Amino acid sequence: MRNRTLLLLGLLLALSAGTARLTAQQTPPPLVTAQEILGGLTPDGSRWLTFGGNYSNQRHSPLTQITPANVNRLVPQWTFQTGTLGNFETTSLFRDNVLYVTGPQNVAWSIDARTGRQIWRYRRELQPNLTACCGLVNRGFGVLGDKLFMVTLDAHLLALDMRTGAIAWDVMMQDYRNGYASTIAPIVVKDKVIVGVAGGEFGIRGFIDAYEAQTGKRAWRFYTIPGPGEPGHETWTGDSWKIGGSGVWVTGAYDPEQNLVFYGTGNPGPDYHSESREGDNLYSTSLVALDADTGKLRWHYQFTPHDVHDWDSTEVPVLGDITIGGQLRKVVMFANRNGFYYTIDRTNGKVIAAKPFTTTTWAKEIGRDGRPIELPGHTPDEKGSVTCPDITGGTNFWPPTFDPATGTFFVNAREACMTFYAWKPDYKAGDRFTGGAGQRGQGSEQPYGALRAIDPATGDRKWEFRYLTPSTAGLLTTASGLIFSGDAEGNLLALDSRNGKLLWRYQMGAPMHGTSPTTYMVDGRQYLLVPAGTTLTAWALPQ
Amino acid sequence: MRWIFSVLAIAVVCAAAVSLSAAQDPPAKNPLEGNADAIRSGMGLYRARCADCHGMDARGVRAPDITQVWASGRTDAGLFKTIKEGVPGTEMPSNPRVQDAEAWQILAYLRTLAAPAPTDPPRGDAVNGERIFRANCALCHRVKGAGGRLGPDLSRIGIARSREAVLRRIRRGAEGFGSGYEPVTLTPPSGQPIRGVKKNEDLFSVQIMDTRERIQGYEKDKMKSVKNETQSAMPIFGPDRLNDSDLDDLLRYLGTLRGFDPAVAP
Repeated sequence: MRNRTLLLLGLLLALSAGTARLTAQQTPPPLVTAQEILGGLTPDGSRWLTFGGNYSNQRHSPLTQITPANVNRLVPQWTFQTGTLGNFETTSLFRDNVLYVTGPQNVAWSIDARTGRQIWRYRRELQPNLTACCGLVNRGFGVLGDKLFMVTLDAHLLALDMRTGAIAWDVMMQDYRNGYASTIAPIVVKDKVIVGVAGGEFGIRGFIDAYEAQTGKRAWRFYTIPGPGEPGHETWTGDSWKIGGSGVWVTGAYDPEQNLVFYGTGNPGPDYHSESREGDNLYSTSLVALDADTGKLRWHYQFTPHDVHDWDSTEVPVLGDITIGGQLRKVVMFANRNGFYYTIDRTNGKVIAAKPFTTTTWAKEIGRDGRPIELPGHTPDEKGSVTCPDITGGTNFWPPTFDPATGTFFVNAREACMTFYAWKPDYKAGDRFTGGAGQRGQGSEQPYGALRAIDPATGDRKWEFRYLTPSTAGLLTTASGLIFSGDAEGNLLALDSRNGKLLWRYQMGAPMHGTSPTTYMVDGRQYLLVPAGTTLTAWALPQ
Repeated sequence: MRWIFSVLAIAVVCAAAVSLSAAQDPPAKNPLEGNADAIRSGMGLYRARCADCHGMDARGVRAPDITQVWASGRTDAGLFKTIKEGVPGTEMPSNPRVQDAEAWQILAYLRTLAAPAPTDPPRGDAVNGERIFRANCALCHRVKGAGGRLGPDLSRIGIARSREAVLRRIRRGAEGFGSGYEPVTLTPPSGQPIRGVKKNEDLFSVQIMDTRERIQGYEKDKMKSVKNETQSAMPIFGPDRLNDSDLDDLLRYLGTLRGFDPAVAP
């Protein structure tokens, strides 16, 4: 008996030694380090590791193989199809010739970037009665070490094993049955995964969370609506703060020098009914600067105090260092749903320049104190009032870009107006809570869209490329002087970023909605990756 | 809020609930009709869920005018079913999250906006109306598999639009164009201009049905001009072209068109 046990033990030892040898013989792919993410996009095109390419969200690639002169020779290399309902809104991550992609309906994949073939697929069962307001979408992974991070429609945050797609940990951020959902692409700062929740139309109390990447333990939470006793709480009447919305569903930026993350916050709720929540409603429709280690608020700037038009400020904040009046300024560039473009000092939250980039009828200008000088007649009521921009806004969550070489900010803008109505709503946990509606089709002016190039020093327009109808596509610029965009009719467009001249186009069959092309190198060739509808298509120059 | 997809999302997620609620027959008459509380709640529900398409006054934006649904012969039970289950093949979605009581509240509110049901007995002779239709309308409009294709198919116009709305279109012409029926003229570098209605368009191309019912796409940069016409192809039929008696007959005939099932077509 004893001998047999020893024999078994010996066998086991021999077996495990064999396994160890096998493992040691392979070269495991190096883990994604915080340093690599900090490094952002590199000239060798070997990675795209965070939502905006860099923490700055500039989405400006240093790659130059594809140029204005040869872009019209791009040919498709492969197309990947999701096989699920719903559209891509994702930014794919790329490393070691593999793409990591989230899709609609809580599905995700790793894909061979050479061939477009799936390596693994992850799918999470959808809960019944999800409250995601606007499509069962997801905007992308975050990554650190050997883990990918993904939020879910039922407001969980997951860590997946990069090599298998298996769950490493799963934490609930909030109870989805009370109107919480999550669609944001996480950013990873040092050892923390930073995310937010959606639900501004469902009476949530929004927040930004940080979780330990290794364990999923929550490190901090910043409520976008201050609780009793906290500064800003007095900007809400009665108990309105408890259900005041202010979701966070679009990825922020990170400034390593100041160790600050910058996030845009969503609309206050109920969306349209002013009397339900008198006051400025901090920190809704704001830009908040938080200490990345502790979540403590450093400064905030509110774009639309007491918003009543559902103008979430969940647009993508873009960081840059630009010369204004002979001085190098550290700024955040922000094209807001309310129709104004802002350049803000990112060390203190003070507005440097602010100017409409689309037709805005609700405010005359942004005052010297940073507060909009509002015009009368734009508070929705039962009779309705016409305001520009419309609900969808002057722009929205689709990513803009910034070309630091020419100091130009690019954004897909919308020109549209709407009649807004409001009435007193009743709150019921988990149910829609908007207190109003908008109605299009007012006036003879047909809505349209345009790609606009903006000088961030002044907010002035350098050029525009006009679309037939408003586009909801994100952008990508490259150091070779290209800008890639898309229109609402499904055309993928390449333009000269200096003057907006159209250079090349391809009909993708579906628009890029809320998502941008990305670019990277595989085997010495520059690829352009385009998510459109239910497909991902990779383009490159002929060999 | 990106509301565009909300209805779709709700519809997809709650598909299972539909079969459950559809299993029970609703009462034939709205149990909440005239109830002040129900009308108030119904107003909120209507505005939140219906007004985007049907308009705040229910007179129609993208979707039909629904102030005349009772006048055109729809019943409470039928409308209840439409709210809950939608209209397949149209943009009207199913609304499984709407509770029975909420659907009745919406209808109670809608009643307050609705035109009174006509008290006059129906006028006109449908047989003569059909003859008039064939002579004047069938070149462009199709009914039950016969007729032209340039204008909208009218096989279910009797339930889709009220008599008043149809009368307005005939007497005053179209106010704006439905999607797919916008008139356009393309001028090629040589040869005759091509007239038709626009089926689709992007920055670079336009797809049309021309006046000979040929469907075809054209690249804009290969055309001398692409002009969106401001005048609908639908002529105005004033009393000089169509007298009041013939108009009554035509409207009576159109009112009988309540759908077309090709499987039982003659």
